Order: sequence, then structure tokens, then C-alpha cells
Amino acid sequence: MSGHVAPHRWADAFAGRLSDAELAALERHASRCPRCQKARERVERASGSFDAIRAQAAPELPWDSVRARVYWSVSKERRSGAHAAVRRRRPARGLVYGALGALAVASAGALLVAARTESPAPAPAHDGVAASATGHGPGAIAAPVAPAPLRGLVTRIAGIATDDVLVDGARAHDLFARQLAAGSVLATGDARVDVQFGEASAFALGPRSTLELRRFDVQNVELVVSGTVDVEVGPRAPDQRFVVVAGAHEVEVRGTQFRVRRDGSTTEIACRHGVVAVRDRAGAQVEVGAGRRVQIASGAAVSPAHVVALSVDELAALSDASPVRLPVWDPAALATSSAPLEISAGARDVRRDVRVDGIELGPAPLRVRVMPGRHTVEAMDRHGRFRRAGWVDVAAPGAGRPLARLEIPADPPRSAGVAQRRRQLRAGIDPARLAGCTRSIAKAGLTDTYVQIELAVDETGAVEFLNVIDTDLPSATARCVREVLADVRFGAGAAATWRERIDL
Amino acid sequence: MIARVKRDTGASPPLDPVDEAELIARCRADDRAAHDELYHRFRRQVAANLYRVLGDRTDLDDLVQEVFVIAFRGLERFRGDARLSTWLYRICVNVALGRIRSRKRRPPPIGLRDLDRAAIDPSLTERPETPDRTLERQRDQARVYRALEMLAPKKRIVLYLHEIEGLDLKEIAYLVDSNPVTVRTRLFYARREFYRVIAGDDAPAEEGHEA
Repeated sequence: MSGHVAPHRWADAFAGRLSDAELAALERHASRCPRCQKARERVERASGSFDAIRAQAAPELPWDSVRARVYWSVSKERRSGAHAAVRRRRPARGLVYGALGALAVASAGALLVAARTESPAPAPAHDGVAASATGHGPGAIAAPVAPAPLRGLVTRIAGIATDDVLVDGARAHDLFARQLAAGSVLATGDARVDVQFGEASAFALGPRSTLELRRFDVQNVELVVSGTVDVEVGPRAPDQRFVVVAGAHEVEVRGTQFRVRRDGSTTEIACRHGVVAVRDRAGAQVEVGAGRRVQIASGAAVSPAHVVALSVDELAALSDASPVRLPVWDPAALATSSAPLEISAGARDVRRDVRVDGIELGPAPLRVRVMPGRHTVEAMDRHGRFRRAGWVDVAAPGAGRPLARLEIPADPPRSAGVAQRRRQLRAGIDPARLAGCTRSIAKAGLTDTYVQIELAVDETGAVEFLNVIDTDLPSATARCVREVLADVRFGAGAAATWRERIDL
Repeated sequence: MIARVKRDTGASPPLDPVDEAELIARCRADDRAAHDELYHRFRRQVAANLYRVLGDRTDLDDLVQEVFVIAFRGLERFRGDARLSTWLYRICVNVALGRIRSRKRRPPPIGLRDLDRAAIDPSLTERPETPDRTLERQRDQARVYRALEMLAPKKRIVLYLHEIEGLDLKEIAYLVDSNPVTVRTRLFYARREFYRVIAGDDAPAEEGHEA
């Protein structure tokens, strides 16, 4: 100890954070210590310049140039289909719509979803042009530059049988290692598959459904779906369109989240965000806004009378059905740097919602794409609260690497003996040692700290684990506190797992 | 005692919440006029925030561009749990943090000279100030930024937001996407380091007089 005033204490003084007595003591010391007097002056001058810094206005910049660059950056993703696409946009528009109509007619019971990035207002579809748009007819227009293909990555498989997914007719055990491209066909049994295909776009194919990625590039996405699909589409530019054709009906959407369910006799569209417009082949149209749905029999004309509000439960179901999306979308990097994590439920008849690293993923069993590293898994108990189920280390993907797995314990956390064990813990802590851990930081002014631990003690009194789960202490101090707590001895008694907050 | 003043955002008069929600909705619908309005309304605030955090104007236009690109791309995810200006400030902080980190990796071209120029608040330069006083003030500010440069990026941001911008722990936690206890610890060490540098290299390394 040198006996000098720590410089930051002068800042506290100038900010009025010290009591009069404290301030007087500092001033007394400074009056006979040139070194602290000098430090005081410097800190005062620096503190005095804060106001001037805070008041600094923005320097003049080439605002219009910046705005132009911002606009270019924001819109270039939507224009990434190359300028050549713009030139052929207008003739292709009608052709593709014709194709959609033809496909819709041809595939009764199937649902066609077409996402297009460079199309203005829709034109009525007619079969004659449809063949041209798909390149099968004489009117096909060769694209000067092929649009960049999209890649889809599976982000989650949920359901009783997570292997119950077929790709191109074969059972896919390596679904997480694949990049889905145009032509791929997914079929689910009891599982549900989430696929991301852009930073803000993903779909989830429901159980007992089939989906074909008929077209899958930056300009056009055509998903032929039979069954149920939940789609989340990133925002579209005014001249971009996302079209769903379901039998005789056409649905136009923009950035939105919605569900399309098509069975043999009806088509149902439910919209959670945004607005979708549903048209029939005769051109009649109804709008389905957020929180509404429409159910139409095959071949029937659309009418505003079909649109009804979603119930709270239906809205909640739509919300729960949101496809899993990874925050940073780079399919090439993700395919080589992420790996699946399988989480299985302890008891098959119990629904156990799980959370990985704080993100809710729905009920186990499931597989989810994660980055390599340690991940915390929590499972919902019977009271609806998430409790830690364990952690699992996931290795980087590689040949021969086993699948990372974690089984959620079937038994709920033991709590019968918590009160007794808590008393034993409190009685067993050595307060002198604990004070020794925090002495240095308390002297530096960091007081009223705490540490929260999670502790498991078995019937014999042995500590199964002791984890510091939250603290505002520096790491070295937290380690010291943990050592003190780890030395507490428990006697025989009921097993218990609990969390304890200790204020220091 | 140092008087805390409300942070000057450099922005246009604030929007009321209804107008703000409408502007956001229009932006989400890709209304270009709305994009322009948002840009024009907040561009000076964004530039000022970045400028004050970083202390120099090197590549400031690129950073402003980066902030708005992130904002426009992320508007869809903006939940409205904070004012738009606060949300933009958060983006500014993150962009500035990235800038500080990249600068740490490179030889530091500290642009403190900018602080000595007319970019300083015009209301200050309009005062009848003596050359000595002007020089002194510029040196004080330069010393502050030089001390900030000595800190680790995360500590620097936290210290700047607390000591200079006068924000509380919760506000800082939101801006740096952390929790208040972490911010508190980070701030504790940042203040010690910062004021030790400010006080001079010969300042006491270990405090003993806590009064």
C-alpha cells in the first residue's frame, strides 16, 4: 500500500459520488502530497473536457454519396440475379406464371410455392406460355447469365423418429451434411424438417409431407409441396414477388410468415405476419392479413367471406412453427463448420420442450445444427419451467466423428432435501476464508457482490457438481470463492440439486 | 461536481412513437421514400455518435454507411422495445467497437488531429476564446482519447458510455448487448485503468487511500 489516492477516486469526487467526509479526507491527503495533487488536476481537466466531447457535432460528410452507397448495399442482395435478369424479366414473367398455372393444374393435390425476386405485378397465367417458361416449349428465352443457385441447409429435424426423412427417395442419415439444391425431394414420416435457404428465409416441412425443390436459385424458388409447409420469407422489394399456387388458387406474399396446408379437398392459408393476397383462376382476389386465415375448397372461387380471424391457439401454433434460422447465413461455411446435436427425451411419453443455449427449439427428440463447442441444454419440467439438463461438447464435423448426443434425464431435479442441504451449506462456509477472497476487491471499492452457484449433493453427502453460474466477481475472486464453497462438507441425507445465491 | 447534460444526439427533432412506428412500417415495406426519411433524420446523429466514440473522422463515411446498411437490413427484426434512435445508437456502438478492434490489430493511425479542427461544436468555437485556452482544451481532449486508446475495446466502450455520455449501467448493457453486472465489473476496471493513464504514468499503481 502506497497510501496515495487512486486516480479514479478523484473522478468519483468530481462526479459527486463521494460523501463529504470522504472528499475531505482525499483533499487533506492531496494538500500534503504533490503527486496526488498533480493527479487530481489532470483528472479534473480530463473530466472537464467530457462535456466538450459530448457536445461535438457531426462533421460534414458527403451525405448523398453515403446514401447512394447505403441504397446500393441494401438493394444489391435483391438484385443479385444479375442485370441480365432484368432484361428478360418482362417476357419471363408471364411465362413463369403460365408455368405455375400449368404445374398447379398438373399436380392436383400438390402445392407449388414460387418465390421470385425480380417480377412486377402478376399477369394471369395461361397454360400455353407455361411450357415456355419452364424451358420445354419453343418460346423459351435463354438467360444470358444463369442465376446463382441457392443452397438449403437443414437446421433442425424434430419428431419421434429423427431419421425418418427421405431425400431423393433414400433414407438420409447425413442430412445435416448435405446442401439441398434444385431437384432435391424431401419426404417426411413423423419428423419435421427445417431448412434455411437465405439469411431471413426458411421453411419447415411438416410430418407426412413431401417437398420438391423444383427451382432453387436467387431469382426463382419453386417448392412443390404436398402436405404442410410453414414458410418464413425475408422482406421483398416492391418489384419482388413471392407466389404460392395451390391448385386453382394463387397466393401472393411479401416478407411474411405463413402456413399453407393442402390436402386433397381444401387449401388453407394462415398468415402470421404481413399480408397475402389469394386469387383464383378467374382473377377474383381476397387479402389475408396478419392473424387471419382462409380455407377454400379445391376449385372454389375465393371470397372475402372465406377469411376469418385466427384464434389465439392457432396464432400460437403458427408462432411455434417458425422455422429455425441461423443468425449468420453462409451455407458454404456452415456446411463445413457446424454439426448436428441430437437431444433425446428420457421418457418417450412425456413432452419435454428443450432449449439449447437459451433458444427454445420445441419438444425433444430433435437434432439441431450448432457450432462446435460446449452447449447448455435445458428441458422443461412438468411445471413448465426450464431446468438445466446438462451440457454437451460438439466437435467440428469430420469423417468418423460420432454424432453429439444428450439424453434429457427422465427424473426431475431432486429437491426433497434442498432445505436440509442448504442449511448444511450455510453452516459449513468458512466466513473468514470467504472474506479473504473478496478483501482486495472490497478495498478497491467493489462491494455488494454476489455469486450464484448450482450444487448437487448425493445421499452420502458427496458433492456431485458445483458450478458458478452467475457472478459479478472477477474470475480470480470467483475461483477463490468456489474453492471455499467446495470445501464445505455434507453429511448423509437426501440427495438434492439446487441453486444458491450468496451475497458477499 | 461535473454536471451531467443530456446527450446531444445531433438528430432532427424526435419523432413521436406513432410516427416512428409508421416510419418503421413503411421502411419494412421497402418504401424508398421512408428509407430516405429515416436516413435524413438520423444521419447526423449516427455520424456524431461514431465520431465521438472513435475520436477521429478517418473513414467516418464508411462507418456511417455500415450503420445504415445494418439498420435497414435489420429493421425486420427490430421489435420496438427501444426507441429507434436508441436502437441506431446500439448499432453505432457495435460498429465503433468493430472499428476499435480492427484498429488495435493494425498500426494505430490515431486521428486525434481532427479534434483540433473545426469539427468541434461550432458553439464552442464561436466563443471568444484565447488561443491558449483553445490549445489547452484540445490537448485535454486529445489526452482523453489517448487514454481511451490504451484500454481494451470492450472496456473502452463501456467507459466512454458511462463517463462521457453519462449513461447508466442498464442503458449501457442494452447498447453493448450485455448484462448490467458484467458492465459494472468491466466499468470498474476500465475506470481504474483510464484514470491511471490520465493521471500520468507516474501515478500510483495501487491505491491505498480510499477515504
